Amino acid sequence: MENLGLLLHGFGVVLTTQHLLLMVAGVLLGILVGVLPGLGAPNGVSLLLPLTFSMNPVAAIILLTSMYWGALFGGSTTSILFNIPGEPSSVATTFDGYPMAKQGRAAQALTLAFLSAAIGALLGVVVITLLSSWVAQFALRFGSPEYFAVYFLAFASFIGLGGASPGKTIVSLGLGLAFATVGMDTISGSLRLTYGFSDLVGGISFLVAVIGLFGIGELLVTMEEGLKFDGLRANISPRAIVEAARMLPRYWIALLRSGAIGCWMGITPDGPTAASFMSYGIAERFSSRRRGFGKGEPEGIIAPETADHAAGTSAMLPMLALGVPGSATSAVLLGGLMIWGLNPGPTLFTERPDFVWGLIASMYLGNLVAVILVLSTVPVFAAILRIPFAIIGPIIVVVCFIGAYTVANSTFDLWLAVGFGAAGYLFKKIEYPIAPLVLAMVLGDKAEDAFRQSMIMSRGSISIFWANGLVATLCALALLLLSWPLIGAATRTFVRARQPADALED
Amino acid sequence: MAAADPPHVTRLAAEVFGALVTLSLAVAIALGARVDGIGWTSGGPEAGAFPFYVGVIVAAASLGNLVAAFRRRDRAAVFLDAVKTRRIAAFGIPLLLFVGASVLLGFYVATILYLGGVMRVQGRYRWITSIAVAVGTAAFFYVVLEVWFKVPLLKGPLESLLHLH
Repeated sequence: MENLGLLLHGFGVVLTTQHLLLMVAGVLLGILVGVLPGLGAPNGVSLLLPLTFSMNPVAAIILLTSMYWGALFGGSTTSILFNIPGEPSSVATTFDGYPMAKQGRAAQALTLAFLSAAIGALLGVVVITLLSSWVAQFALRFGSPEYFAVYFLAFASFIGLGGASPGKTIVSLGLGLAFATVGMDTISGSLRLTYGFSDLVGGISFLVAVIGLFGIGELLVTMEEGLKFDGLRANISPRAIVEAARMLPRYWIALLRSGAIGCWMGITPDGPTAASFMSYGIAERFSSRRRGFGKGEPEGIIAPETADHAAGTSAMLPMLALGVPGSATSAVLLGGLMIWGLNPGPTLFTERPDFVWGLIASMYLGNLVAVILVLSTVPVFAAILRIPFAIIGPIIVVVCFIGAYTVANSTFDLWLAVGFGAAGYLFKKIEYPIAPLVLAMVLGDKAEDAFRQSMIMSRGSISIFWANGLVATLCALALLLLSWPLIGAATRTFVRARQPADALED
Repeated sequence: MAAADPPHVTRLAAEVFGALVTLSLAVAIALGARVDGIGWTSGGPEAGAFPFYVGVIVAAASLGNLVAAFRRRDRAAVFLDAVKTRRIAAFGIPLLLFVGASVLLGFYVATILYLGGVMRVQGRYRWITSIAVAVGTAAFFYVVLEVWFKVPLLKGPLESLLHLH
């Protein structure tokens, strides 16, 4: 119950007028980026991050995490009203959300989505409250080899469980790691991979990469499809909210199951997108109402929304306790922590308890503020999407490049963002996962330092990675995940080879 | 049948292009890292060791992706056709001009030209509407960034003429 006291202290830190105003501003900006195509949670947070360089860390993290919650909610609005997911993680919400809205039940669909999202987020924060200091305590025993093993495990789980082609995931991760090494080497002091260009001495900022890959790249893909917003109208009345709230208890199994899936996938680095798809898939298979799925079944909205937000929230747990983010957005936030001069990881809990518990308390409040704001502003944000794209498109582009420029006041970063934008378009279209690249760029330096320090400790022998039970377990898990696609392929071939033989025996 | 198809880029071509780009990046990374030494010194691994081996792994994975590209079932699928290329160009070319103009003329002037130009030419708005929205947007960014957040943006010759620094 020590955590409860700390949490109450956290609420004390958060409950100031300035912080609450930042929360409202963050949520509104978040809904805006969530609603607009081409702007999502990861690059929305990246765009705002340079403006927080001079803020105090507690205020800055409240602003940015509130934006994250807002973006998660905003993405669902467009999914339901326009059949256009504002965020990759709300794709699964379109499956039943849009059909339900088309049947004239848009208000119920939206309320149902927001309320189940809030329950998912709440489950995620409760998990963080209960587990984070315990995980951090455990992680205090970690040395460099254990840290490298944890990073390795995070990378391996992308490759093994990410769903994309393992070869493409490796390329994405590897390029991220390599980009992270560009510039001054912190250990030897030498300049690496600059090829004589003075612009590369300062390194490649992950923020510019996120703005290019997620922002410009996403816009290019959207434009190519020939954007057409044909939205349904919805006015949310208090009656619709009460009705939806009355419906929810009936779906308690779906809520709990989706929440559990979300928390698990958020803590492991699969992220909200994978969580929402998996939750929808499982609901579709096991629901007693599976016939209605795809035609406007409420459970088809509840399942992905709960999982999406549970994952989005619980992705903060490994970021805080271990310094390993569970989603692209939390990777950006982790980068922000380092820029503000904080050292993410278990020591943060003892060094800056006000920051950690302030953040956790702000998650409860931020999500509450987000639900209220998103319910009351649906018509406003739906109207924004009716602004013709000839106006809103260039404005999004301008915002992206302003964001890229403010990272380091460098014009070189503008061209870098163009390059990352083209790469993002190509990667997206030929199914290279982008999140691993961002994660690797943020974690690259730390992973490399952990590796080099381990090598120094062991005088160059890699046996240090199975020198004790803890590190050996982590490495074994990572290797198992790495070989997961191979095991899967092998069993499939084996089963296929067996089947004709069985048929003959019969 | 293939002869009757309108010109297009296939999925295979896109996959091969992607794999070759990542392969050449990987080779550049590995070669660049070798300059810093990839061996072992008394102070641990040399600076280039980590990026070098990352480069080698990415190169190997790129080769794997290259081979896999030829074994895709959808390798003949259309990746890009004339319509899509035109849409990409209609969005991408003004974007590139905007970045170029930003570097030369500063952000505010470039924003006005870009937004006003796209609205007028592609959105077919009247001149007056286009200019009003473009100038209004630039003024909004100026107030938010320079005045509220005190974040200076790139400025050009016009701003120095008006002493807006």
